[in-house]
Amino acid sequence: MGITIRRATIHDIQAMQNANLHNLPENYQLKYYMYHILSWPQASYVATTYDDITPEADLYAEDDGKAEAEVPEIVTKDVEDPKGDTSYIDKGEKIVGYVLGKMDDDPDAQNRKAHGHITSLSVMRTYRRMGLAEKLMRQSLYAMCECYGAESVMLHVRKSNRAALNLYLALEFTTSSVEHSYYQDGEDANCMKLELKLEDLVPSKFQKGVEDDFSQDLI
Amino acid sequence: MSKLIQKKKVGAPILTNKEDENFYEALKLYDQLQHKKALKLVTASLKKNSNHAACLALKGCLNYQLGNKSEAEAPILKAIGKEPRNHYVNHLAGMYYKLIDNYEEAAKWMKAAVDNGSPNTGIIRDLAYVQTQIRDYKNLVVTRQQFLEKQPGYRANWTSVAVAHHMNGDHQQAYTTLQKIEDIIREHLNEGDRYEQSECILYKIQLIGESGLVEKALDQLEKDEREIKDKLAFLEMKGRYLLMLNRKKEASVVYRQLLKRNPDNVQFYILLETSLESASKPVEIRLKLFDKLASFYPKSDPPKFVPLLFLPASHPEFKSRVREYLLSQLKRGFPATFVNLKPLYKNLAKRAIIFDIVNEFHNLELSQFDPTVAVWTKFFLAQHYLYVNDLEKAEESINEAIEHTPTLVELYILKARIIKHKGDYELASAIMEEGRELDLQDRFINSKSTKYLLRANKVDQAIDTISLFTKLDKDAANGLKDLHVMQANWVLVESAEAYVRIYKNYVKQLQALEAKDEHEEGDKNIEEEKEEILENIDMYMGLALKRYNAIVKNFKIFFQDQYDFHSYCPRRGTPRDYVETLKWEDKIHTTPIYIRVIKGLSGIMFEIYDDQVRKHNAQLKELLEEEDTKSKKKSNGKKKLKSPKSQLIKKKSKLVPLVELEKDDQDPFGSKALSDLQNNANGKIMDILLELAKTVSDEDPMLKTPWEIVINVYLNEGKYVLALQAIRSLEKVMTRRGSAKSRLVGEYVLKLDESINKDTQINSAIAQVVSKSIIAAFPEFTKDAPDAFLAIYCQ
Ligand SMILES: CC(C)(COP(=O)(O)OP(=O)(O)OC[C@H]1O[C@@H](n2cnc3c(N)ncnc32)[C@H](O)[C@@H]1OP(=O)(O)O)[C@@H](O)C(=O)NCCC(=O)NCCS
Repeated sequence: MGITIRRATIHDIQAMQNANLHNLPENYQLKYYMYHILSWPQASYVATTYDDITPEADLYAEDDGKAEAEVPEIVTKDVEDPKGDTSYIDKGEKIVGYVLGKMDDDPDAQNRKAHGHITSLSVMRTYRRMGLAEKLMRQSLYAMCECYGAESVMLHVRKSNRAALNLYLALEFTTSSVEHSYYQDGEDANCMKLELKLEDLVPSKFQKGVEDDFSQDLI
Repeated sequence: MSKLIQKKKVGAPILTNKEDENFYEALKLYDQLQHKKALKLVTASLKKNSNHAACLALKGCLNYQLGNKSEAEAPILKAIGKEPRNHYVNHLAGMYYKLIDNYEEAAKWMKAAVDNGSPNTGIIRDLAYVQTQIRDYKNLVVTRQQFLEKQPGYRANWTSVAVAHHMNGDHQQAYTTLQKIEDIIREHLNEGDRYEQSECILYKIQLIGESGLVEKALDQLEKDEREIKDKLAFLEMKGRYLLMLNRKKEASVVYRQLLKRNPDNVQFYILLETSLESASKPVEIRLKLFDKLASFYPKSDPPKFVPLLFLPASHPEFKSRVREYLLSQLKRGFPATFVNLKPLYKNLAKRAIIFDIVNEFHNLELSQFDPTVAVWTKFFLAQHYLYVNDLEKAEESINEAIEHTPTLVELYILKARIIKHKGDYELASAIMEEGRELDLQDRFINSKSTKYLLRANKVDQAIDTISLFTKLDKDAANGLKDLHVMQANWVLVESAEAYVRIYKNYVKQLQALEAKDEHEEGDKNIEEEKEEILENIDMYMGLALKRYNAIVKNFKIFFQDQYDFHSYCPRRGTPRDYVETLKWEDKIHTTPIYIRVIKGLSGIMFEIYDDQVRKHNAQLKELLEEEDTKSKKKSNGKKKLKSPKSQLIKKKSKLVPLVELEKDDQDPFGSKALSDLQNNANGKIMDILLELAKTVSDEDPMLKTPWEIVINVYLNEGKYVLALQAIRSLEKVMTRRGSAKSRLVGEYVLKLDESINKDTQINSAIAQVVSKSIIAAFPEFTKDAPDAFLAIYCQ
């Protein structure tokens, strides 16, 4: 575990910027991340992991847990300041993936429909292929639709980016156009689009589990 | 920035003479950014009347705008001196100080402008922004209120007043303000205002809750539900309030609703358990609960993983469940399987079980599966061995994996890490490079490769590598400028540390040479070699300083960045996150990487300081032995050696395009920054360092690094009372972290005592006072038994 998907806050943006710099050639200054969080606070999500168990998890008492003190590296770790690694946002918590979302609000188009836009998405390589990107996307899409009434969402992806293209196809995006030489280095972009309908977007739906209808007690 | 002249000429001055007229005309031009024309007019006026205060002030601003920055402040100060109560002068002075980011002065003069009857409403707004920037919340309330009275028709102005009250600690005023405008505006909202309405309502309820009125907050939340768009926030607040009110049953339903929205947030599971009070129930009940949750959310991790945390290792279910959990991940080829299990590794019994499962699987069952499963299993084992620090076995496992499938990048990442732990940075970097070449499209592996090159002190090669993914401006030699613009702090800090290692290597070389020199006095070749090494030391020290300073500067930018949002957020209708941003900025320097930076910087600065002391002492000695005229050159030490060899100058000029952080970098090697420090050009070096460290400890006194720096600074400066205070602060940090009699603290106490003893100039009364205070603070301390003391302070 350790990996949690949760809404991004201003406290996460430095580590989001760091993840973006590690994973993608399209980079932004911190102020642009601030602008996202402070304009559309609901649209961005992060995947975070904990080195040590979360403090809340201390709730789980362990009866036979041989005292932690027997593992020397843990003891020394505890008195140290948080690790000076740029992916850490605080003691033991680091960001391994993010989606940065926004709304296209064009002041001239008062009556036009609301559209979401994915500014950036990436997952650190050692955490890939376990569904994090898909989960991050689903949260962001749901929030855009719910909070801002987005009727569709749009994004650009490099034509050669097989992983990302597959991911968006799995999310049922379709390519609406190709923008030639969209990227700095001359590569074309696929402009992809997805229509949004709130009822269909509830993230847990895609797990195809038994539905919790809240009618029964859990214990 | 407010225009100086408002469209509606509220109370436009009655112009009496030509100079005033000119001034007014020039102001218009200033507002239209016609700075040159404006300056002409002002200069003409000042020729006639060199004491025209408003013209003087405007001249200062114009000089600044036209790039003549050194001649900006003087005319402004003169103007203030002449007419301190002229609101034009005040306003211009305020604008000038804002331009140079001196917010304290800006606030002072903008406030003066308002108080002295400036009819300009823009200045009130600007004043609010600078007051927010310096966190003068008490006065901010007044200012925001003043502006609201001028323009009550905008919701943003009400929101601003509420935020000011909130930040000033008055929650009640804050939420009543919000309620008032909500009631006024409710009937007039159109579709486009709904989001703002929702955010302002949530902000209001948050304030009610934070002021302790939980029941009222919950009530309001339910009343306003229809208008709230952010259902996640709605549910989270509802759940929290219900828990606080001990209405757990209802809370549990809320957390189930939250899980349905996001079954991958472990927090919700924990809070669900809190509301079900299940954590204290028998394991079997909890297992049932999580099995149920797993049936709802079969693709989420927590329902499967949390039981592994609470199940005792000895419970029969633990082994079967952990087996199922990890083998299913291995079989699906999750690179992160080990990372996912790592939290269990703190428990030694669980660790042993996990290892046995994987080992057995590896030895007995692999043949039944797809060959990729074998790779990921070996990959897991290698990570296990790395974790328990059995580097030989780790290497063995990863080699097997690579042999099996030589094309998987992840394997090389891990192998490089293992080799790094063995201490061979060169080899580690070469392996990471092999991995990079397997996937040239992926920036992540490129970043890793860059990092490992830097760890191997190959800075130029590292920058060339990362430049494959940066924006390259036409005439740029590499991507460093782009990385700098993009605030790639990780590259800067790794580069700085590489440069530090490089210059330290040169220092070692120098010491070796000096040892040799003892025997071969005045050997010319050695002198030359020494000279070159010294040049290199300065160059790499300068570069390290330059990179560290670039990060410090980035953090200044991060702090500045909030400025525009003081006006933007209230208009945008995002007060909740705005308030969070203010709090975040208040602690921006406690970001882990910043602490790493000040630690690195302090290393350099202490060295420079020691060098200064050495030189100073040498000079003193020289003065004492003045008649002994020989070898002045030598005692002047490092610096005085002839000017650098022309070859080195050439080499350096070729390097400039490779190391500069911005176009036409004025100090590409940081040599000016370095010599400024060496010569105390911007104040004493210890003062500069102290300020860096204090910025952090003021924001969070529970960090260790800044206190260590503060202690060492005070010891250097002979400020023993302050040093002792800082040691006590450090002790608090260590105690809080469960290390009550910390050795670190003990060592600083001894160091303090030693410094006092060694100090020949100390006033004996002071020495006594400090010694007494040491014993008062650390009763176990006695002068004659430092070892016994350390034996107690051994945690
Ligand atoms: C694209 C990226 C975000 C995917 O992250 P991820 O967490 O590994 O993706 P997920 O595990 O959620 O994958 C979901 C689906 O995407 C597809 N996918 C992901 N990675 C893939 C790959 N390497 N090859 C083929 N398909 C892939 C699959 O269909 C996958 O579903 P599956 O696992 O059931 O087959 C990640 O590879 C990344 O950060 N790449 C670099 C940055 C980037 O390209 N960002 C996108 C810019 S538009």
